[in-house]
Amino acid sequence: MILVNKDTKILVQGATGKMGAAHSKRMLAYGTKLVGGVTPGRGGEKIPGTDVPVFDTVKAAVDKTGATTSVIFVPPYLVLDAGCEAIDAGVSLLVVITEGIPPQDTSKLVAYARAKGVKMVGPNCPGVITPEETLLGILPGSIFKKGPVGMVSKSGTLTYEIALALSDANLGQSTCVGIGGDPVKGMEYPEVLTAFNNDPDTEVIVMIGEIGGSAEEEAAEFIKQNIKKPVVAYIAGQTAPPGKRMGHAGAIISGGKGTAESKMKALKAAGVEVALTPKEVAEKVIALSKQLARK
Amino acid sequence: MAEGDVVDLYEYEAKRIFAEYGITVPPSVRVTKPAELRKVHFGYPLTLKCQVLSGGRGKAGGIQFAKDLKEGEALAEKLLAMTIKGSKTESILVEPKVSIAREMYMAVTLDRASGCPVFIAASEGGIEIESNENIITSIVQYPFQPFMGRELARRMGLEGALLNKVGDVAAKLFKCFEELDLDLAEINPLIITGGGEVLALDGKMTVNDDSLPRQKRFAGWAEKHMTDLPVRERQSKQLGLNLVELDGNIGIMCNGAGMTMATMDMVKNFGGQPGNFLDAGGGSDSEKTLAGLEIIHDNPNVKVILLNILGGITACDEVAIALVEFMKRHPQRKMIVRLRGNNQDIAEKMLAESGTKLYPDLEDAVKAAVAAAK
Repeated sequence: MILVNKDTKILVQGATGKMGAAHSKRMLAYGTKLVGGVTPGRGGEKIPGTDVPVFDTVKAAVDKTGATTSVIFVPPYLVLDAGCEAIDAGVSLLVVITEGIPPQDTSKLVAYARAKGVKMVGPNCPGVITPEETLLGILPGSIFKKGPVGMVSKSGTLTYEIALALSDANLGQSTCVGIGGDPVKGMEYPEVLTAFNNDPDTEVIVMIGEIGGSAEEEAAEFIKQNIKKPVVAYIAGQTAPPGKRMGHAGAIISGGKGTAESKMKALKAAGVEVALTPKEVAEKVIALSKQLARK
Repeated sequence: MAEGDVVDLYEYEAKRIFAEYGITVPPSVRVTKPAELRKVHFGYPLTLKCQVLSGGRGKAGGIQFAKDLKEGEALAEKLLAMTIKGSKTESILVEPKVSIAREMYMAVTLDRASGCPVFIAASEGGIEIESNENIITSIVQYPFQPFMGRELARRMGLEGALLNKVGDVAAKLFKCFEELDLDLAEINPLIITGGGEVLALDGKMTVNDDSLPRQKRFAGWAEKHMTDLPVRERQSKQLGLNLVELDGNIGIMCNGAGMTMATMDMVKNFGGQPGNFLDAGGGSDSEKTLAGLEIIHDNPNVKVILLNILGGITACDEVAIALVEFMKRHPQRKMIVRLRGNNQDIAEKMLAESGTKLYPDLEDAVKAAVAAAK
């Protein structure tokens, strides 16, 4: 597994809000070591419906619990502040679930996290799951199973669709990382791919991309140079019209750049198996893992 | 990064903001009727510019020069009636004709690859920036300092007083980019006049959608600047749904942008034509789901609606409530429904009572929708 495991101590910022409270309960039910919530002015309370203590500041929560990771559910305009607070309090991983953050705020938070050597996943992402160990964010835990497939994805629901098909075929996942579909984000493909490449539990990597930008083309070049494990990729938006934003802030073909065709071509040229449908991703991964088992 | 957004500003709006931030713009008067040309307080010849949100205005004839009032009024009449690439002329911006010694380009936007703001500049031949080979880019590390503007001006080949003037424009442009949460702040062209003055002759700004609620000066602008969007796309936007209409006859609604695109792609791969992209987002309740279905139903090209929900944070029973109500309202509507995930069993029970067939497998559902649309 990568990034998080059953022993990772987690805080939730925005734990007393509607989303934060509901997903804190779901995370606890999954087995996540959720040790504290943070809501300014609500220190001394419990996360609603749980026995987990709430702290006023991240510093207070980290000092008391030893948490190393923070999952952020605060409203969009408070994320920059909340993220910087967590970084200064000494966490080593931020997972930002919140959607609709002004991109210049994200840009400042990403720059600060990098300067301080803190990893950040998101924003506008479903989170991270190491199946049967820990879940951070809003992913539906029941779909995932423990196993040898590492997944990195810009799309939450496509991650679920493909994980479901894999789990149905009794092929589980090592860790699934939702990096989100915003144009400016924390971890990009190369960082996650490297982690999977170095992870003894991961045998096959699934990479899910979509139209817009050039991250998939850059990932293709990176895979060619650095990744030894087999990669299966899927790119959503093969039929998307140019100049229209397809749901995600980053999903737009602009000035003829960022097409699915260009991304698929680059990935194929890098030796990546490119699937045309989500189902085909699962089929290719199943075939690859059978080949690996024979070796 | 200013791509396909709805809150692009008109030139006159962008220039008012430039002026507020201390960037010099030519004197101007905005007119909405030819007769208003009489209140122009500067001399002829005049430049008349259509205020539209589309590009390619100059090539389309949206910029004209008038030597006197009579010619000006005739041109104004013509320009006010123009629609350029689907964007109707909102008004005309009238300015004195300026003598140009040099045309440059300068913009600030966010760079996806580095995640940082970036200056894009060209020291000559502004207009056709896409095909200009002399483009200079400069990534900005936080916090911005004015020297970064001067360094940019130096790289643009400027010296002496002009280096300081253009460096100062860069610093002011960055300030308005940052303070107003713009996706793009662009001066095109940035000119040096015959008299050695640095002027923003034309400008474009795109305000970031997600920042609108905290940028009070733009309150209500989204509606005003959405006039070029098709009616159903505008309705969706107001409901918090992401709709893009296409030419086909299979209406598509899913949860999640990636899933919606993938479903569109599969429809096409199996020989069908997607009629739209509609992402209801994660965690949509029955009310939002119903509103989405109604919007697709209103599209006269749509023969069949394909609803594909994989419930993670979206609860299948919430979707089922909407679906039952929708089928009650429109019993003749052909529906193909794929519903899996959270509370699937409850949803199945509800829908069994209403006689709706469910497809657990996505590919089977897509194939059924393609067959139903033929």
